[in-house]
Amino acid sequence: MTHGSSSPRTIGVEGLSRVEGEGSLRVVVHDGQVTDVALEIFEPPRYFEAMLVGRHFTEAPDITARICGICPVAYQMSACAAMEDACGVTVDADVTSLRRLLYCGEWIQSHALHVYFLHAPDFLGYADAVELAEHDRATVERGLAIKRTGNLLMETIGGRAVHPVNVRVGGFYSAPDPAAVAALADPLRRAREDALATVEWVSGLEFPDVTGDYRFVALTEPGRYAVEGGRPSSSDGLNVSPGEFARLVVEEHVERSTALHARLGGHDEYLTGPLARYALNSSVLSPLAAEAAAAAGLGPVCTNPFQSIVVRAVELVFACDEALSLVDAYEPPDPPAAEMIPRAGTGTGATEAPRGLLFHHYEIDEEGTILNARIVPPTSQNQITIEADLRRVAQDGLDLSDDDLQWRCEQAVRNHDPCISCAAHFLDVNVVRD
Amino acid sequence: MVVAGLGHEYRRDDGVGPLVAARAAGLTEAAHDVGPLADPLDLLGRWDGASLAIVVDAVRSGAPPGTIRLVELEPGATAVGGNSPTTSTHGIGLAGVFRLARAVGQAPARVVVVGIEGEDFGRGPGLSPAVEAAVPGAVRRVADLIKGAGSCA
Repeated sequence: MTHGSSSPRTIGVEGLSRVEGEGSLRVVVHDGQVTDVALEIFEPPRYFEAMLVGRHFTEAPDITARICGICPVAYQMSACAAMEDACGVTVDADVTSLRRLLYCGEWIQSHALHVYFLHAPDFLGYADAVELAEHDRATVERGLAIKRTGNLLMETIGGRAVHPVNVRVGGFYSAPDPAAVAALADPLRRAREDALATVEWVSGLEFPDVTGDYRFVALTEPGRYAVEGGRPSSSDGLNVSPGEFARLVVEEHVERSTALHARLGGHDEYLTGPLARYALNSSVLSPLAAEAAAAAGLGPVCTNPFQSIVVRAVELVFACDEALSLVDAYEPPDPPAAEMIPRAGTGTGATEAPRGLLFHHYEIDEEGTILNARIVPPTSQNQITIEADLRRVAQDGLDLSDDDLQWRCEQAVRNHDPCISCAAHFLDVNVVRD
Repeated sequence: MVVAGLGHEYRRDDGVGPLVAARAAGLTEAAHDVGPLADPLDLLGRWDGASLAIVVDAVRSGAPPGTIRLVELEPGATAVGGNSPTTSTHGIGLAGVFRLARAVGQAPARVVVVGIEGEDFGRGPGLSPAVEAAVPGAVRRVADLIKGAGSCA
C-alpha cells in the first residue's frame, strides 16, 4: 500500500476474520474520498433454491437447515411456516410455543458466539477470542456457559445441538418429555444471570460515535417480541403480511458482486437484525430485559451500529427469560404435528433469525412437489446498508493507519454479524487507498 | 473418547469429515460421535475433558487428493499441519479452538486430527473419486486410534 495522492489507495481485506462464512471486503480511497466499497458475499441459499426444486415439500426444513450451521433453526422455522401457509394449515398454540422455545435456544447459541467470540475482541484490541481467553478466562468461561445452555435447549427440543432433527412441517416428530423440559429451568436461570452480566460487561466497552440513518425492518407481533412469526414491519410504518413483503422485496444483481442486493419496492435499502428488532419491539421486551437495556443506557431505539453488541446482549437476557417462561408453561403438543395435506399453491414464511428477518417463499403442486423456491436471508437484505456503513466508517477513519482502518472496516462489517456461511469457511478481505 | 467430523455435506469433499467420523464411531461403543459440526468452535462443550478427541476434517495442503494425515495437536500449536491457519477448510482454526479450550481448562487430554486431503470444495453433495476412495482407509485409521492401536505420523 502506498499513500501517494494520484493513484487509488485500495484497502483490500483478503481474509475477513470472525465473520461466519465466505466473503471479501474492498474499500477504494482516492484523493481523500472513499470512492468504492464492495462487500462480496457468497450466498449459499442461491444454490439451495435450485436444489429444492423437484423435492417433496416436507423435505424443505431439513435441506435448508444445512445452509447454515449457526442458524439452522431459523431456516427450518421459515421453511415450515412457508409450507404451512401454502397448505392452508395453522399449527396449534402448543406447537408454536415449542418452536419459540427451540428458537430461543438458537438465539442463545448464536448471540453468545457472536458477542464473546466474534465481536468483543474487536473492542478490546485482541486478535481473537483465544487472546481474550488468555487474558480474561472468567469472561470467556461465562460466554461458553451461556452458549452451552443454548446447546442444551437445542438438544432437548431439537434432538441435536447442531442441525436439529426433530422439526417437521406442521410441528415436531415427537414432543419432548416434560421432565426433560423442566430440567432446563436451572441452567436457564444461570444463563439468565450470566446474560445480565454480559449486558453490564459490553455496555462498558468503548464505542465509536457513529449514527446510522437506518430504515429498520423486523417482524412485529402484538404484545410480544417477535421471534418465530409476525408481520414484517418497518420504522416508517410498513406493516404487511409475509407474502406481501416477499412481493415488495426486489433483489437485483450487481455486476461487481456475486451477491444479490435486496431493496424494498425495488428502491429502498433497509436493515434487519438486532438493531431493527429492538427498535420495533423494545416496548414489548420482558421486564428484566427492558431493565437491562435501560441500565446499559439504551433508549427505545439504538442507531449506533457498534452498539449492536449491547443489543445482542439484551436479546440474550430476553431469550433466556422467555425460554424460562416457556419451560414453566410447557404443555406437550398433542399431536406433536398438524396433519399436512399438500395442495397446489404458494406460501411464504418469515421468522427472525439471530441475524435478522429470514423469509422463504415456495410454490408447490398438488402432490407436494416443490416447483419454485426463494430463500432470502437477512444478510442479503442488509448488504446495501452494510456497504453504506462501511463507506461512512472508512471516510471517517481516513486518518487511521492502514492496519487500523482495515480493523475498523472489518469491525463495521462484524457489527451486523453477517452470516455468509455454508461452512467451507473461506474468506477474503481487501482494502485499497492512494 | 469423542470423535467429531467437521465439514459440510453439500460442499463436496468438505463432507468427508462427518462421513468418516460417523462410520468409525458406528464400529464401536468406545467413542461417542459428537458431530457433525459446522465449525471447530462447536467442539467447545462437546470434547471437554475427553481422554482423546479425534477430529476428522477435510484439509487443503497441496498433497495429492485423498492423502490421509494424522496430526496430534501440540498445546502451543497455532495451525494444523504446520502450514497456514487456513490449512483447514474452516476460518476459525482448530488449533485456535484447542488453545481456547486449554485457556479455559476445558481441553481434552489429547487431540488427534485425521485430515483427508480434499480436491473439490464446490457446491453440491458427493465426494470426488480420490477422496471417496480414501474413506475406508480413513475409517480404519480412526478405528485404530479408538482402539489405541493407532500412531501419529
